[in-house]
Amino acid sequence: MERTRLPDDLRCAVTLGVDFDGPSHEVGRGIAPLGTHSWGRYSARRGIPRLIEMLKRQDVPCTFFVPGYDAQCHPETVRAIDAAGFEVAAHGYLHEAWDVEAGEESRLLRQTDEILRQMLGKPVLGWRSPSGRKTANTMQVLKSMGYIYDSSDKDYDLPYRLRFGPNANDCIIELPNNTYSLDDFPFYKFSYTPPSEVLAQWKSEFDAIYAADRFVVLVVHPRSGWGSGTPARADAFEQAIAYMKTHEGVRFFSSAEFARWCLEHPRHLEELRTP
Amino acid sequence: MSGCAVFLSVNFDAEAYDLRSTSEDRLFGRFSYGRYGVRAGLPRLLAMLERRSIQATVFAAASDVQRHPDAIRAVRDAGHEIASRGADLTPLPLMKERERESLVKSRDVIAAVTGETPKGFRAPAGELSPQTLQFLAELGFAYDSSFQDDDHPYAFSVRGDLRIAEIPTVQALDDSLPFSARHTHARVVKIWREEFDALHREGCLVPLTVHLRGDLGFTRAARIAALEELLAYMASRPGVRFVTGAQLAARALASGERVEPDPGLAHEKTLAVTPYRGDLAVKPI
Repeated sequence: MERTRLPDDLRCAVTLGVDFDGPSHEVGRGIAPLGTHSWGRYSARRGIPRLIEMLKRQDVPCTFFVPGYDAQCHPETVRAIDAAGFEVAAHGYLHEAWDVEAGEESRLLRQTDEILRQMLGKPVLGWRSPSGRKTANTMQVLKSMGYIYDSSDKDYDLPYRLRFGPNANDCIIELPNNTYSLDDFPFYKFSYTPPSEVLAQWKSEFDAIYAADRFVVLVVHPRSGWGSGTPARADAFEQAIAYMKTHEGVRFFSSAEFARWCLEHPRHLEELRTP
Repeated sequence: MSGCAVFLSVNFDAEAYDLRSTSEDRLFGRFSYGRYGVRAGLPRLLAMLERRSIQATVFAAASDVQRHPDAIRAVRDAGHEIASRGADLTPLPLMKERERESLVKSRDVIAAVTGETPKGFRAPAGELSPQTLQFLAELGFAYDSSFQDDDHPYAFSVRGDLRIAEIPTVQALDDSLPFSARHTHARVVKIWREEFDALHREGCLVPLTVHLRGDLGFTRAARIAALEELLAYMASRPGVRFVTGAQLAARALASGERVEPDPGLAHEKTLAVTPYRGDLAVKPI
């Protein structure tokens, strides 16, 4: 099988993601979102509005991955994301960062899909696993709901078709991400890195990708605490976007737009079969 | 809001903090960093704040206040605000039916030592039970400063038509985390300066959280010098003024613009059927 190779006329593709991670992140773990556990409350009040404004200023698309519970808590925020022209995709119900049994998982995926679809009046096309856990069952359910992509796997630097079952339709576009370097939380949650150094890290990631694989998935969180909703970190995210924009031929896509591009250019995509 | 308010808060966290990991008879060696904060850190901090004419808000647990009444009175005499940080540093959700009584004690011990009833509260480890805000309002506290969910102070409305102001803080501007991770003070200064510049540019509240302790605090001689330089830099920026918790709370309660329902109630139903899994990766300080 050929490896994925982006055509020469697509110099570099960038997808930006904002993982909503509101109160669901704590409530799902059985923690009341009070006191120091209130970072998720920052998302809807301050982080999302600040990031929407910034993304409009930079004039780039972005995909907001939203847990179903957060959408129920903050419907007006989810509608504001959509109204501003950004994609809304799914991100668990209570940000399940643990293994969920297949039947329960199916119920949660369908519940969140129903919430977002009803709220927006249009189909949801993609999903990112909260914490990066998933199985072949996950993809079966996503596919049965009409999703065209997943953005959770960590096994490659380029998009590919992930074949997860024996039937012709058991296939989904995978947009792999890396939560150790092209994400905000490791630096703000674990290593307490100054925002300027996080920006430098992302620039150096971009430089290397621009010179080789030409596909970037950058993810931030709009919360306070370990997120990028607060002014200095939102600024680092903005500077990273501005930096990428200065490079010739860089095209920003929402995750769904890029997944559609992948579907329209099958010859350029590797197909991976999983057992 | 015009200008930019800097809220310098100090978590006293002396022996009460060490006693979370050891017993009274073992407050020596590695468990004496809390005592350092009182013996060496506090005089140094007070002298620096006097030089800079900055009023701070000091949150102290009742057990620390009882152990160090003269230090607490020195803080008061220097013109700083003294607020409550609970009876000791046991997280409130673990207090169960003793929670209310512990909050009463925290208030009354400070009142007895300083002659003034404290207006403010900051939860040990930043952890509140769903009843805490209700109790605090009933006990006459004007504000809590434990949440990390906004750029400006606001107010909660609780049962009995009571209100309590919230002065949210920012984790990135808490010295204890990067110092716990053994970062240099130069690195902490770098973080604080970047965070401050961005908050200042947007006119947000700048909540600084400083600890007295010799391990994860900002009071060693080299660190105080770094902190003083930071505060001088902040003071030099346009529109910056230093404020106390009580001043911010009075403004938030008087404006009445932003009053939120008790957040302890909003998620009750879901929490009742959700098993406790803990933070998984985030350790509360």
